[in-house]
Amino acid sequence: MAKEYWRWPEYRMTVGEKDWKSGKIITAGIDVGSVSSKTAIMVDGELYAFSLMRTGSNSPDSAQKTLNWALETTGIAQKDLHYIVGTGYGRINIPFANKAITEIACHARGANYVWGNTVRTVLDMGGQDCKAIKCDEKGKVTAFLMNDKCAAGTGRGMEVFSDLLAVPIEEVGELSFKVETEPQPVSSTCVVFAKSEALGLLRQGWPKEKVLAAYCSAMAHRVVTLLEKVGVEKDFVVTGGISKNVGVLKRVEKELKTTALPRNAKYDPQLAGAMGAALFAKALVEKERK
Amino acid sequence: MFEQMQNWYDKRHAYAKEWKKNHPGGKVLGCFCTYVPEELVYAAGVLPVRLLGSHEPQSVTEPHIFGMYCPFCRDVLAQGLQKRYDYLDGITISQSCLHIRQAYTSWQMHVPTGFSYYLPMPNCVQSPHALSYLKGEFLAFKNALEKWTGNEITDEKLRQATELVNTNRRLMRQVYDLRKQDNPPMTGLEAMYMVVSSQMTDKNDHSKLLEKILKELPGRKMDRQTGARLMIIGSEDDDTAFIKMVESVGATLVVDDHCTGTRQFWNETELKGDVLTSIAKRYIDRPACPSKDWPERRRLPHILKLAKDFNAKGAIIIQQKFCDPHELDIPAIIKDLKKNGIPSLFLEFDVTVPIGPFRTRVEAFLEMIGQDDLF
Repeated sequence: MAKEYWRWPEYRMTVGEKDWKSGKIITAGIDVGSVSSKTAIMVDGELYAFSLMRTGSNSPDSAQKTLNWALETTGIAQKDLHYIVGTGYGRINIPFANKAITEIACHARGANYVWGNTVRTVLDMGGQDCKAIKCDEKGKVTAFLMNDKCAAGTGRGMEVFSDLLAVPIEEVGELSFKVETEPQPVSSTCVVFAKSEALGLLRQGWPKEKVLAAYCSAMAHRVVTLLEKVGVEKDFVVTGGISKNVGVLKRVEKELKTTALPRNAKYDPQLAGAMGAALFAKALVEKERK
Repeated sequence: MFEQMQNWYDKRHAYAKEWKKNHPGGKVLGCFCTYVPEELVYAAGVLPVRLLGSHEPQSVTEPHIFGMYCPFCRDVLAQGLQKRYDYLDGITISQSCLHIRQAYTSWQMHVPTGFSYYLPMPNCVQSPHALSYLKGEFLAFKNALEKWTGNEITDEKLRQATELVNTNRRLMRQVYDLRKQDNPPMTGLEAMYMVVSSQMTDKNDHSKLLEKILKELPGRKMDRQTGARLMIIGSEDDDTAFIKMVESVGATLVVDDHCTGTRQFWNETELKGDVLTSIAKRYIDRPACPSKDWPERRRLPHILKLAKDFNAKGAIIIQQKFCDPHELDIPAIIKDLKKNGIPSLFLEFDVTVPIGPFRTRVEAFLEMIGQDDLF
């Protein structure tokens, strides 16, 4: 089988140190995105365990698998969870979730948890769409914009390029900076057209890194347009899978002339939505218990 | 309660054909825009039907209409090219925007009917000369209708037709008034079926049903929560699938500014002095389409008043993709609503809408304007 360059690592971790049994509220946030599925398990509003894996063709199965994997080795059983909030594109199709909340609300809430209450602008670059979100000090959304019906500026687009150029997806970002001068961005933001354009550039003798630079730059430009429409206010953070791609991230910062808060080493930014969902789950339990 | 109206809308062609059967010699006139003076058409004994799309993907309009013209005008033209309106005796358009005019001229060329009339409705309705100009054009339209049908349009007939159309408008406003209640006895989807069906049925039939509905509606109990009260604003919109989705995720549409809604029926014709001038004045003064709302932007205070009267807590602003007149107005509307404490969500229509992604936006919007108890 040909090497799957686009494939990013799936993983799980238990990060909580306390005994979960001493916790009062155990919740799960499950984010079934179009490309990746994530679960965050929280004990009293603190991240306890999580998992991140590829979404399958079926939302309920993907949700169950990522939940099972997050719970694995923790000793927590699904029945121990007091509340489950589903989010992401597959949120309405998670039969065992108690409630569905949009990924827009969840990313804002999750960013507030990861980076603190100074976050005002969140850029979530997901698998098949990206969102510019403004929020208040509580992590509540005050405005948002989403890109339209197209994979440009998203993880799926990046996967296509990684495969086309035979560059492992995790190396795309770094490699895209190995150019002497920054090339013009590819002119099309449509992934299909951008792919044809890239093939043309390769035939003209462009090295891979230059093509990647041109694509990362086009992607950055596309999301910056979205951000400028909603208006960027500091602190600015980036969540979602693409936030791990420095090739896009740094170009976004450069074009915006503002820097994003650095990645919080404790949390994977791709988990922000799932963490936000788990926090909403906690709020919902508290509301019920009142 | 509104099933019949939905039925009329869904089976619009069957209705019109049936109407012709019951009105021997009666003619049906396809109208491309709500600025066509229905009073004149009824006075000529003709049934005006508004031409709308069917929200199905199609490829027949490709050679005839520019790709960056709005999806609505393409969808309308497709209905003609696919011969779905083969019972029409004529077509007419009252000038509004270039896109729909292109659909009209293309229809004229490729789907010929016995009568086609371009009515040059002035775009600058705010000009002091607009009224006398439009009166003159209405006179020419009246003459053309007389020549086409062989029916003389007397002032008496115009008065009767005005009363017929006014009654329908008045009854629909009475229905709308009930939506001001804390728990409206109807959905926005039902309101949409009501207004769009009025645009394609005989006002006699429609008003008769409205009178019946108005007897039952005040006491009607809804088996759903009202949720967030929203207003919907924008270009031509009969996307019932979208409206249904919005009202299935915790909201009720309580009022609109659409030409498939209030813009079409909101004001009546006041007969004072010359009949044609009175009718022309009604079309000059009606809630404007953005293609006609300048130099002063009169839509803003009107929209705000609707929002306040109907206690809307948020607004969905939706336009047909590439609709230039609405594109021009929308930033000002968003700003004005925001200044007055009404948040809005902007979306773009196509012939079909991506319900999933739109649902995410609508739900996120509802979470944004509510759910304070989760923080």
